[in-house]
Amino acid sequence: EELAIVGSWSNLPLYQDFETPFWTEKLPELTDGEFTAQLTSFDQMGIAGSDVYRMLGDGVFDVGATVADYTVGDAPELEGLDVPLVATTPAQAQAMVEAARPMVDDIMRDRFGAEVLGIAPYPPQVVFCKGEVASLADLEGKKVRGSGRMTTKFLEALGAEGINIAFSEVPGSLERGVIDCAVTGAGSGYSAGWWEVSDTLMTIPLGGWDAVVIAMNADRFDGFSEDQQATLKSAVAEGLEAPAWAAAEGGLDNDIACLTGTGDCASGEAASMTLVEPSEADVETAREILTTEVLPDWAERAGGDWATRWNETVGQAVGVTIQ
Amino acid sequence: MIWTVAISLLGLMALSIPVGIVLFILGIGVGEFYSAFPLLRGLGQVIWSASNSSTLIAIPLFVLLGEILVRGGVAERTYAALDKWLSWLPGGLVHANIATATMFSATSGSSVATAATVATVAMPQAEKLNYDPRLFSGAIAAGGTLGILIPPSINLIVYGFLTETSIPRLFSAGLIPGLLMALAFIAVTAAICLARPHLGGPSRSFGWSERANSLVQLVPIILLFAVVIGSIYAGWATPTESAAIGVVMAGLIAIFLGDGLGPRAMAQALHGTIRISAMIMLVVAGASFLNFAMTSAGLGRQLTEMIEGSGLSPFGTLLLVIALYLVLGFFIETLSLMVATIPIVVPIMAGLGYDKVWFGVLMIVLIEMALITPPVGLNLFVVQGARKSGSINDVIMGAIPYVLVMICMIAALIALPGLALWLPSIL
Amino acid sequence: MTDALHGALRRANRIVALILGVALLLTVAFILTDVILRKFGWGSLGGSDEVSGYVMAAVASWGLACALLDRAHVRIDVLRQKLAQPSQAAMDIFAMIVTNGVVLLIAWHCWPVLQKTLERGSRANTPLETPLWIPQGIWFSGWLWFALSATLLSLIGIAHLAKGRRAEFDAAIGMGSELQE
Ligand code: NA
Ligand code: NA
Repeated sequence: EELAIVGSWSNLPLYQDFETPFWTEKLPELTDGEFTAQLTSFDQMGIAGSDVYRMLGDGVFDVGATVADYTVGDAPELEGLDVPLVATTPAQAQAMVEAARPMVDDIMRDRFGAEVLGIAPYPPQVVFCKGEVASLADLEGKKVRGSGRMTTKFLEALGAEGINIAFSEVPGSLERGVIDCAVTGAGSGYSAGWWEVSDTLMTIPLGGWDAVVIAMNADRFDGFSEDQQATLKSAVAEGLEAPAWAAAEGGLDNDIACLTGTGDCASGEAASMTLVEPSEADVETAREILTTEVLPDWAERAGGDWATRWNETVGQAVGVTIQ
Repeated sequence: MIWTVAISLLGLMALSIPVGIVLFILGIGVGEFYSAFPLLRGLGQVIWSASNSSTLIAIPLFVLLGEILVRGGVAERTYAALDKWLSWLPGGLVHANIATATMFSATSGSSVATAATVATVAMPQAEKLNYDPRLFSGAIAAGGTLGILIPPSINLIVYGFLTETSIPRLFSAGLIPGLLMALAFIAVTAAICLARPHLGGPSRSFGWSERANSLVQLVPIILLFAVVIGSIYAGWATPTESAAIGVVMAGLIAIFLGDGLGPRAMAQALHGTIRISAMIMLVVAGASFLNFAMTSAGLGRQLTEMIEGSGLSPFGTLLLVIALYLVLGFFIETLSLMVATIPIVVPIMAGLGYDKVWFGVLMIVLIEMALITPPVGLNLFVVQGARKSGSINDVIMGAIPYVLVMICMIAALIALPGLALWLPSIL
Repeated sequence: MTDALHGALRRANRIVALILGVALLLTVAFILTDVILRKFGWGSLGGSDEVSGYVMAAVASWGLACALLDRAHVRIDVLRQKLAQPSQAAMDIFAMIVTNGVVLLIAWHCWPVLQKTLERGSRANTPLETPLWIPQGIWFSGWLWFALSATLLSLIGIAHLAKGRRAEFDAAIGMGSELQE
């Protein structure tokens, strides 16, 4: 079976280092030639990341991958997959995603007519700031470039101001004081030179992990035999999900080393940003805001019994309960 | 697939079906014949994504800026002043077209908006003074393309966004090549008109006092440039927001330094803005859908195989990529061309060691060429739209010498990368 | 009757263009306010880029009919200009009918975008949480208006052609040669 795949951002490592080799080379190997694939990415097709699942549901292609957080306009309950700040290590993030998987399966079926094949992480979305920022509380009154609805709500609750500007405009905007801080993956920030214009790196995942859900049109998936379905799912789990998560573990350490100059940087010359690691108090504050403001707000947006379901799954995995 | 699409494109356009509609028809055709998927179901979503764009809003804003300068008499005075300084050259007023386009390029981020503005003020003069319509309109179409090389530039914003390159750096990199190309346009025009004086219309000389007095007419445009570019570099505004600041500034200039801007003139400016923007947007929407269909059908894979499979040296690859843009630029609308190819081409070029800022400037020159090569060349369309009579063939013919200048500019950028990279390195 | 219809269509589209123009001016004001507030540290209105996108979508749908009535959509005349009058008219009516068909098809395929939004109650993934049916409803109705205008213009063209009214035919769907203001 030949599959038409639409992958995530083509300029990021997830696509270049994991999606591309998986769909073009590993998939035929892992499935004994049962499946082959033609790959492109949503940005190359000129479609918005938020429209990928809409088109997937229409059968415009077989498999689509995009950041779940982009599509919460169509499915607010999907915000529960990637809650900022609750998972600080790749292992925790993976536990969070695994706990959320049954929820995500249902959401993708109901909202988009799609079957989830796997969920892969982008690097944690950390904070680059110009000037001294020693704790989460210091963000109060600052202008922060963040993306995602929950992150913006969290910033508002902190007393910071969420500003929406394009990725490529961040360095200039930091330099000239249009914004004080910006959120992105540590690796992206390193390769885009954000360290040239900012001083402090806060390694709290303020923007969450931007989990990418890889899903297949349900009609197409249901048309396969059970054997084929199992083969395909295990191929994705083994050939795409697992390596992407494994790389998240080492990748973050390397990126932090490159940005702060503490440790070995394999990607090039190291910068010398000041590393601010989350303190106990920061984590406490964050959880307090999450459980009292941000998450209840979400529960209302999502409606139904999503808060209960979340508490029983993701909440248990990360130790947070929506009041 | 590329060739079938190209030939069908020529055929349908020759039937005088509107260009935007032709692009939609081709997109539907590619979906039917080259893809196993019901791409037509994605049509609405693609159009919505292409139109709901806070980057593209800069196009109507820059067009409006130009319309206000025209209705407020500012554009006409700028044009007249530059005429006094340049019309002694062989080619006369054609030089004023280029110089006016260069000045407006510094306030407008859009090539089509620049061409539209200059065409509106300049075209009436061509008939009055009996100029050859080809060279005269070709110079406006070509001069207008400087709008995206001289900062600000919508296309450089798009490039910066897609390649994660600093936009202010890209902007500063475009300035020197942009000015050099303007000078080269003037030199080529003079050379052509020396050889064929009847193309150029009368050379007219003005006294030095008259010239000196006219300088004051250039102040508004310089002021506008300072505000638009200054707002970006001073950190007040993002490049897209600077377009809105430019509109307000243009309005103030028209009211206080120009002929004023009454409700009637404003209504005309708005009507003109919507007409031109909608014309452009139909082409952009059609091109987005065609791009979507072609990418679904494997355009990216074909390009990747062609470039990576060629086994060429870095320099050979560069030449191949340039040739590719030359060919694709004939047929594909420029923003779609950039969106479809940058994610494939730029990582390859960066991997071969080419500087992304430098390559961005090189690509913009190639994109400028695409804007004035038939059959799909938005600037040709815009200039033709501003003419009262004649065929689009005139504009196409007239633009050819300037295409050759652009090819020389590409060679110069390869030979002397510092043309682009020096300014960003000292800022 | 046809003339009255054509005149009414033109006037209606002029009004549409004016409304779009005013929307553009309001966007300018919005962006400028945001820039000034930010510059002086008075906070931010937020969402100016989101609203800009919606205005752009409105211009790019409602404006299309205005450009059609002004005969501003680009057509290539390489072949047409070499032909005699009757063949030119045939090309004009052919181009108009093809355009009309494609626009109807597009409008038809734009509906599912709004339909999904309505079914799911989709909201923009931004701090504003704009209910998407509003901007998409405006956008979709713009395409409907374009389809309606194109259909009426086709009928007007056919009527002029049938009566042999050459000048009126040209003014309706010919190639723009006298774009009057
Ligand atoms: Na410019
Ligand atoms: Na072209």
